[in-house]
Amino acid sequence: MTWADYLFGALVAAAAGLDRTAAFQLMISRPIVCAPLTGWVIGEPMIGLQVGALVELLWLGRLPVGAAVPPDDTQVAVGATMLSAAMASVSAGSETAVILLCLLVAMPLGKVGQIFDRRVRHYNARLVRAAERDLESGQLERVCRHHLKGLLSFGLASVFTAAIIIVAGSLIVSLLGPLVLGRIEAMNLWLALAFPLVGTAVILGTINVSRAGTLFAASFTTALLLLWLL
Amino acid sequence: MSIVLARIDNRLIHGQVLEAWVPFTHATCIAVANDELAASSLKRIMMEAAVPRRTKVVIGTVEEVAAGFAADKFAAEKVLLLFANSQDALRARHLGIDFGELNLGNMHESGGKIRFSCTIFLTREDVENFSRLEDEGVRIVSRCVPTERGENWKKMLQHRE
Amino acid sequence: MSRKFSIPFLLGTAVRTFFLQASWNFERMQSLGTLFVLAPGLNRLYRGEALAAAYRRHMSYFNTHPYMAAALLGTVLAIEEEHAAGEKGAFGVLEFKEMVMAPFAAIGDALFWGGVRPLAASIALFFAYKGYLWSPFIFLFLFNLPHLLFRFAGACRGYRSGLRLLEYVQHWRLPDAAIRAKETTVVLLGGLCAYLTVVCLRQESLAPAWGIALLPPVILLGWLTRKGVSNLILILTVAALVLCIGQLV
Repeated sequence: MTWADYLFGALVAAAAGLDRTAAFQLMISRPIVCAPLTGWVIGEPMIGLQVGALVELLWLGRLPVGAAVPPDDTQVAVGATMLSAAMASVSAGSETAVILLCLLVAMPLGKVGQIFDRRVRHYNARLVRAAERDLESGQLERVCRHHLKGLLSFGLASVFTAAIIIVAGSLIVSLLGPLVLGRIEAMNLWLALAFPLVGTAVILGTINVSRAGTLFAASFTTALLLLWLL
Repeated sequence: MSIVLARIDNRLIHGQVLEAWVPFTHATCIAVANDELAASSLKRIMMEAAVPRRTKVVIGTVEEVAAGFAADKFAAEKVLLLFANSQDALRARHLGIDFGELNLGNMHESGGKIRFSCTIFLTREDVENFSRLEDEGVRIVSRCVPTERGENWKKMLQHRE
Repeated sequence: MSRKFSIPFLLGTAVRTFFLQASWNFERMQSLGTLFVLAPGLNRLYRGEALAAAYRRHMSYFNTHPYMAAALLGTVLAIEEEHAAGEKGAFGVLEFKEMVMAPFAAIGDALFWGGVRPLAASIALFFAYKGYLWSPFIFLFLFNLPHLLFRFAGACRGYRSGLRLLEYVQHWRLPDAAIRAKETTVVLLGGLCAYLTVVCLRQESLAPAWGIALLPPVILLGWLTRKGVSNLILILTVAALVLCIGQLV
């Protein structure tokens, strides 16, 4: 990883972070998109794709309803991709084992993102007041400019979150790596299976479908039988 | 009749109710007791348009909804009952709607001064109404979405004072 | 009724809705954003003090689903146009916004966050797990097709039909479509989980039938989620359990 890689990574973190709430919402912010994108700009697209696929389902069921701010899965995905790419070249374990470790470390660090996000959402109330002042003094053309300043605070919060995940994550991964990479290696397949299964369970627990569990069980069993017999 | 949830929410039917409380309580019917909404057919149609067809919606004045309960119209339903403010909840209770627990969701448009949480602001009158309801044996619990832990409003009142 | 706003102008307004939430805040949510979207329209309709009053009017508390906002604000433009021409409509513009924002938010939340997004993601995940690098594009395509339709066609439709927009929204039965999408998602996730389980079991040289043993834990975890256990705790606990089992075997 070169400095240019980190710079590009930060750009993706900012763009995907803005896409989350502040601008566009084309869902570049979903892990399945922003992780491969991060991987692509730093030359490791397959690492990004694996991270994205593993994270995507985990917070998919957390709808942004009401005043609740969901955890920042965007920066977890971007940060974990950068972290995995940086660590894969220097550690002894297989690529998948490194990705799994980096993800497990990045996820709790993503909580920081929630704090930044909430800060920004309180801070932006100032923009409304600044706009009101300009309105009172008759400078209408300046009012909309205050609105767009919000992009800066949302973007900075995203880059900070990604930076914390990468910096703190590198420290933790390089400390934990030698201790646990071997064990993770042995359970690679099962751990990689745990992510989508837990994500699915979370969705089943929150989705607004009557008898979601029964429907899932029926579909799962049928698909299993088909795959077994075919 | 069975009321699975009685809730005060100034936005009445919205995302939190439909996406979180309906699946959590398995409610089959949403009853909205609100005079203003009952008076405007367009507002009523808009509210109803947000609800999927498999969930029944009944919108009426507080009196109408209370009369519905008295006539056992909701006998076969699991009812999620919504009020916009504390006055309506108290009135409904006095008109004979029997709910043992009252959930506080969103109360931020009443111009209340006493802040309990991000979403609940109460006026003096609200506090009086809740005290009366509590004296009559209703538990009053603040809980925005089911994944939150419910908290007794008296506890929150003590935190504030 | 006069029609001051052309289709290109309305599409421009739709583009501005991409920035609706740039200054989202807990106090007034999308208030400044609404003004940002409406500003070019208001500039055409009003002059002087009337324009300042219009700006002030649209800086009040507002929050709805960002995609649904395009149609809603299109209708707001139509109402403002009537007002500017001195016609008295059935609804004041603030009354209209206040009446419609919560139902539109509920419909958008259910349809896009609850329905289309998980559906598009679970389809794309089949390809992602197969290792196809273009699978993100499948997700983006499936999701943004309805999304962009709602933004661009919504802004035009909202402006042109005015208050009749509400009839259309009611007629389309979007909440039912959302439920259909969610049911499809649950079925697809069943298939995805079964597929991943079989792949894992085969690599461990176990019979695929053992996969059925994973069903109860998934249901249990779903139940724990319902009880309010956070998914971060769930995944970390499960990962720790898997590692411990690995240690024992």
